[in-house]
Amino acid sequence: MIDIIIFIILLVLGYGFGRLLETSHYRSILRREQAFRGILLIATRTPPPDLIPRKIQLVAGNVVISVDYFKRFLASLRNIFGGRVQSYESLLDRARREAILRMKAEARALGADMVFNIKLETASIYKGHKNTIGAVEVLAYGTACVPHNREA
Amino acid sequence: MEYENPEIPEGINVSREHPLKEFAVLVGGTVALILAIVLILGWLAESIATRIPFSYEQEIAGDIGHDVSDNPAQAAIERELQSLAEGLAKHMQLPPEMRIRVHYVDDDTVNAFATLGGHVIMFRGLLEKMPNENALAMVLAHEIAHVRHRDPIVSLGRGVVVGLALAAITGVSGSNLSDSVFGSAGTLTALSFSRNQERAADTSAVAAVAAHYGHVNGATAVFDLFSRLEAEHPLKPPEFMASHPNSSGRRDGIAEQADLHDWPTEGILTPLPQVLQVSE
Amino acid sequence: MLISNLEIVPGRQVLKHLGLVQGSTVRAKHVGRDIMAGLKNIFGGELVGYTELLNESREESLGRMLEQARAVGANAVLNVRFTTSSVAQGAAELFAYGTAVILDDEA
Repeated sequence: MIDIIIFIILLVLGYGFGRLLETSHYRSILRREQAFRGILLIATRTPPPDLIPRKIQLVAGNVVISVDYFKRFLASLRNIFGGRVQSYESLLDRARREAILRMKAEARALGADMVFNIKLETASIYKGHKNTIGAVEVLAYGTACVPHNREA
Repeated sequence: MEYENPEIPEGINVSREHPLKEFAVLVGGTVALILAIVLILGWLAESIATRIPFSYEQEIAGDIGHDVSDNPAQAAIERELQSLAEGLAKHMQLPPEMRIRVHYVDDDTVNAFATLGGHVIMFRGLLEKMPNENALAMVLAHEIAHVRHRDPIVSLGRGVVVGLALAAITGVSGSNLSDSVFGSAGTLTALSFSRNQERAADTSAVAAVAAHYGHVNGATAVFDLFSRLEAEHPLKPPEFMASHPNSSGRRDGIAEQADLHDWPTEGILTPLPQVLQVSE
Repeated sequence: MLISNLEIVPGRQVLKHLGLVQGSTVRAKHVGRDIMAGLKNIFGGELVGYTELLNESREESLGRMLEQARAVGANAVLNVRFTTSSVAQGAAELFAYGTAVILDDEA
């Protein structure tokens, strides 16, 4: 009886706070993505030969985001029926975009306007019980190119 | 070469479906799945279990309580209970090989139960609360009815089969979160089986009491007692979470049966034999 | 020291390749962070403690890689990659590797 009450409270808390945090996070992601639109992200391995930057430098950004209790519960039920685990999609999306934004912030601090050869590395150091994903860690990195006409 | 980062539309990597909708679908599906599993397997286990010969059930049960207590008072109580039980069993159409053995346990627990092999266990806690022999007869007849309906072995078989099936599913899902859902839903369904068994046992028991005494007066006393005890525990779980139906509901069920079969509800109450008037 | 995950440096020439240099660090989170993370696992949201942990690990693994590069006399590390792996529950390895090279002087 007590178990069920605790379980329901956790579900409700997880749902409420999880939704709240997610919407505010998305709002902040969208705002910063607009702010950093000036920095181009290019996933090719090498910059074109005619581009001679003043300086190049490795930039990186990382983030660890955890999923809430409600979504974890949904995902564990999903395990029985199979199909798209929708509750983790937004977690990964948020984590990747946040990591890229942090990398862009680092590039902006250098005065760069392009980041080449972007790589994303996803891992999970923190694992909950029975290997359910508790949190996802994303590391984004690339090489920032600082053009000649800008001050560092 | 030209480089540009045009804006990418939102929501391509993320499903925009409302999570509560997914929640409803998943929980509904899970509950339906468990219900189906527990009902089908439970019914299968029941039909198989009732086909197990009673002698085999006795073998599983082994020698419960063969060590008759050294305490002469206790042995006397046991003998008295045994003879009352045999008197009642005569009216219950037991198969010839089915023998009831009543055991008395000197303990405060307010309970009595039937287990494998026709053994019925009576606790002092319940016996000392019995107002008269009619009430005690109702309790014993109820437990004998469980034995006759093969409820102990059915419950055992059902528990094993359903438990295995649920363990297999939760093993697949591999998460303690869904374990708890499966566990509770499985338990709740099993409890509903159990409540049905209790109702059936009540029906058989009151028939036996009516045949034995010629009336059903006093038979409901035990439910009044349980109602009182339940009232003392305000944190009583609701009926769907209990193994037994509500005491007031059971009381009404008995009255209904008496009405249906024209058993007189008035009659002289038989006092408890001296030996059975125990107290702490 | 120049670090980049490009294979070449635009406008400059590699004079000499000095081979693979690597930096690795394994870090464990401490109990305080674990407890916070446990709470966050109910509500969701960023695990700031772990983000810091990952930051520190990244810097340390890069630092170690640079130490190797310096020791072999390189002035740049190119084609740098990061990989992460979880060695044990609650411990994270961050591994950085790249090619140590000597570049010509800045044009």
